[in-house]
Amino acid sequence: MTKDSTITIKGAPEPRGPYVHARQHGGLVYVTAQIGRDPKTGDFVKGGFEAEFNQAIDNVEAILKAAGSALDRVVKAQIEFVDEGDLDAMNRIYGERFHQPLPARTSFGAAFLWKGAKVQIDCIAALE
Amino acid sequence: MSGHRGVVSRRGPQPTGSYPHAHIQGRMVWVTAQAGRDPGTGELVEGGMEGQLDRAISNLEAILDECGSSLDRVIRTQVMYTDPADVEAMDAAYGRRFKAPLPVRTSWGVKFLAAEPGPEMVRVQIDCVAELNRGL
Repeated sequence: MTKDSTITIKGAPEPRGPYVHARQHGGLVYVTAQIGRDPKTGDFVKGGFEAEFNQAIDNVEAILKAAGSALDRVVKAQIEFVDEGDLDAMNRIYGERFHQPLPARTSFGAAFLWKGAKVQIDCIAALE
Repeated sequence: MSGHRGVVSRRGPQPTGSYPHAHIQGRMVWVTAQAGRDPGTGELVEGGMEGQLDRAISNLEAILDECGSSLDRVIRTQVMYTDPADVEAMDAAYGRRFKAPLPVRTSWGVKFLAAEPGPEMVRVQIDCVAELNRGL
């Protein structure tokens, strides 16, 4: 029997739709795409792309920790961003936050994201 | 169950490219993105975002059933949509069909989705990963 549970925590922005923060299943944890919203206020952090992306990764990190995983156990990450001018900043910040063993990654430009978000990131990670 | 296989159901809109409706591997089923096409006629249903997404989720449901799974066993979904003004309608239609335990979800806006004959545009598509029923 595989463990299967939903996770929604206070340390990440409250869901603004019909979804949970994470699901554990089959030794993996699946995380809902996170944007740069402050978990306390629910509002976007100020400071543009870099601040939003760092906050989004903070949110993913908090969810992974609650689920019994961590950024260094991420198997696959997926990033959507709106402005191609943010590509270099995206790669730089991602490289500052993710370390060996690096996950597989898919990233692409989206036409738009929720409520004007500049970037979002989701992931699938191994449980401890 | 071991091995893997593709599944094409008569209950989902017939694939218009080189893909099955779903692929089963181990205890998981990976479902191809579905649009709001009627499985009988292949045509896009009316009703804008809500009508299309409801039909698309019904298509997922039929395909999952054929594979030995169901909406309440979905772990993760991806939703792509074409108009930022549709976000509330998207959540409303989605929330009527997915109940606890809710899946994780990634959604984003896209420039365009599959072309359809007629005046209606494909406004949304949804894919999912689900667990097979325990008995299978």
